[in-house]
Amino acid sequence: MKRLVTSLALAASLTAFSATGVLAADGPSSDDLLKSATNTEAVLTYGMGPQAQRFSPLTDLNADTVKKLVPVWSFSFGGEKQRGQEAQPIIYDGTIYVTGSYSRLYAVDARTGHKKWEYNHRLPDGIMPCCDVVNRGAAIYKDKIYFATLDARLVALNRETGKVVWNKKLQEYKEGYSNTAAPLIIDGKIITGNSGGEFGVIGMVEARDAETGELVWQRPTIEGNMGTLNGKDSTVTGKTNASWPGDMYKTGGGATWLGGTYDPETKTLFFGTGNPAPWNSHLRPGDNLYTSSTLAINPDNGEIKWHYQTTPHDGWDFDGVNEFVSFDLKKDGKVVKAGGKADRNGFFYVIDRTNGKLINASPFVTKITWAKGIDIETGRPIYIDDNRPGAPTEGGGEGKGKSVFAAPAFLGAKNWMPMAYNPQTELFYVPANEWGMDIWNEPITYKKGAAYLGAGFTIKPLYDDYIGALRAVDPKTGKIVWEYKNPAPLWGGVLTTAGNLVFTGTPEGYLKAFDAKSGQEVWKFQTGSGVVGSPVTWKMDGEQYVAVVSGWGGAVPLWGGDVAKLVKDINQGGSLWVFKLPKA
Amino acid sequence: MRYAWRQMGLTGAMLVIAGPGFAASSPSDPLNSVMWEVLRDQYFAGAPVVFDDAVKVTAPAAAEDTRAVPLSVDATALGRVVEMVAIADLNPFPLVLRYHPGTAAPYIATRIKIQQATAVRGAARTADGVWHVSGVMVDAAGGGCSAPPASYAQKDWADHVGEVQARLWPAAEDGVARLRLRIRHPNDTGLVDGIPAYFVETLQVDAQTPGGSPTLARIDSLEPVSENPVYSLDLRPPPDATALILRGRDNQGGEIRATIPMPPPGAKPAMSLKPAGQSWSVGQ
Repeated sequence: MKRLVTSLALAASLTAFSATGVLAADGPSSDDLLKSATNTEAVLTYGMGPQAQRFSPLTDLNADTVKKLVPVWSFSFGGEKQRGQEAQPIIYDGTIYVTGSYSRLYAVDARTGHKKWEYNHRLPDGIMPCCDVVNRGAAIYKDKIYFATLDARLVALNRETGKVVWNKKLQEYKEGYSNTAAPLIIDGKIITGNSGGEFGVIGMVEARDAETGELVWQRPTIEGNMGTLNGKDSTVTGKTNASWPGDMYKTGGGATWLGGTYDPETKTLFFGTGNPAPWNSHLRPGDNLYTSSTLAINPDNGEIKWHYQTTPHDGWDFDGVNEFVSFDLKKDGKVVKAGGKADRNGFFYVIDRTNGKLINASPFVTKITWAKGIDIETGRPIYIDDNRPGAPTEGGGEGKGKSVFAAPAFLGAKNWMPMAYNPQTELFYVPANEWGMDIWNEPITYKKGAAYLGAGFTIKPLYDDYIGALRAVDPKTGKIVWEYKNPAPLWGGVLTTAGNLVFTGTPEGYLKAFDAKSGQEVWKFQTGSGVVGSPVTWKMDGEQYVAVVSGWGGAVPLWGGDVAKLVKDINQGGSLWVFKLPKA
Repeated sequence: MRYAWRQMGLTGAMLVIAGPGFAASSPSDPLNSVMWEVLRDQYFAGAPVVFDDAVKVTAPAAAEDTRAVPLSVDATALGRVVEMVAIADLNPFPLVLRYHPGTAAPYIATRIKIQQATAVRGAARTADGVWHVSGVMVDAAGGGCSAPPASYAQKDWADHVGEVQARLWPAAEDGVARLRLRIRHPNDTGLVDGIPAYFVETLQVDAQTPGGSPTLARIDSLEPVSENPVYSLDLRPPPDATALILRGRDNQGGEIRATIPMPPPGAKPAMSLKPAGQSWSVGQ
């Protein structure tokens, strides 16, 4: 009778499964995603809410209780693919969905760390990611989980089984395209950007039907290029040749490699655009719209509502992809619908998110050599012309142009790593870096799939004792309220909570917590490898949890010049750490 | 020579709780494979199983290349067949494929990877729900499932994934037309260090006719099928078919599509492997 008993037991457990599975099987709806910023039981979106404030209303963990925060489990990504782990986990219904280097996606039981499934994307040999084989996170919607791959594809999987539902080509990887950002899902459309700004690609924002993967609209970010809507040509971006000479707009760059954010109040997508190509600015006189900008886009049809260009006619790789974080600016007794952006060029911009008008701009790093400031009236930088690297034709020897020392360095006053905004302290927490570079221009012609830089560079720290600086920026005044200095460059995302805490990771391997008002360090934990991912927090079974990925890598060790020497002894890794505050 | 035997598995047990209990014990495996009982429970899930020489399994006695061992399963002697499977007992993934012949003759040939010397089986499920199982021993040196595909020596392998070569012969007098397919695909098992599982998972052949596109046959293909998989099927295209359409997918969502033209007038049917005079019944 043994077999019979087993069968009955199995039948019983199957029934139990489906009884609890009913609700979860439907998965998060569009509405759930829009309200995800206030949902403390789950982390449904990259940025912990479509506005990407990375703020949690949870208060169990605070500056007093955080010392009791302890690790619960750690999960290894396995294999030999231990490169930069820049992901933010997604948490839903007791499962953590997290991406790893080399286009891998894992579903892990949030309570035990037990792996449910793993998807390992088969990459072709010829992928061309510029800045390490990273991925920044997945997107969840209904019964599916989505992520983009290094060969510029978008994969939809059944989130229960890990089976592929569809797999669509976003761009041609052989031309230099790749994709590392977390997709954004708004009203059933999955919205993605693209990478490849170092290869002369055209920046693009695209919306697809999240069910089928079919393209709905495309919006090129460079003026003169045609958009599409429902399979037909829609409108040309900007006005052809208004700010680009000749046909250079066809290889103009402006990659949207960091993805975007969304504001449900104004129903607007915000996508940052990358540097113009080539780097040598003398080859492309004009503002080069819409590179190094923030674009406000209508999610229904891909039309541009407004743009704000942070670095017109960029000559330093001041890529403008940095996230635009919507927030309510309380100033002079009024509430302004604003957005904050800590740009790679060193200025922190506060912009009216209804019309793109500059409210204020202030430096968030100690040294900016390329501009004296930003003109509040015109919204344009006041350039220091001497600090633009010279044209190769005007000589610096051996065909090179005049070399200049410029700060910030091309890796940015802030790079990809997302900042956080705390509506209680009314402060932004910005992971900044203090470095400069020698940069010079070289002759260049465009070749499909080859690096399109036309510049040489070497990066240098500005100070002996630190490069990274976590800074609390007051958007009302532009003042730095506090700072935490870190020896190695900061390269991980920031999380803030209503418990008056700020979390971020360091390349030295720590996940650290700070008092959100004073900046005092109140907790740290050594994860065993550099932390360059984005931490999240949620509540499960009545306890507050924190999760972060660990695994050193990203652009710094690859492009960091003198800085790379400082970090060469950091060991690589690839793991997901989960912590909790145990009940009393 | 049929050893009838009934196994009460999950479904049977649940349906017949008040019934007479369990029937006689299993007949022993003619190939004496240590894996037989486990595989039987796993792949035949409680359905009745008989060893039946009417299913003809053809494979070499010793594998020359363990990464591509020719295998054919011919169940035409059984008449109407609903589903067929191929199994290599001692492979890390024993199930090679499931074939749903639909209106096609119950015959499939392919090439498989073999990890070590093993029993290789073919099985056919007749309309009464009985699985008819047969098999042969294949001797082999080790490693067919854990060696990287030869195509990775070429840098451009990814450019050719999903390409299809096909040949369709005209139907013989009995209406059966041989189709041979070759698909460019690494068919990675996931057992090679650092190379994820990446293999053809589903294939379906439809007929293009003025009145619609009926499905002729389906294959659920798995890891043990060789790199650049080859399949031979005996289809029955409707007389008004203008082409055959192959649709397939790999486990990473990669899509396979091909239109296979009908053979030119005057072409000769493929040489038939089946015994002369055998009558066919069309599938369910």
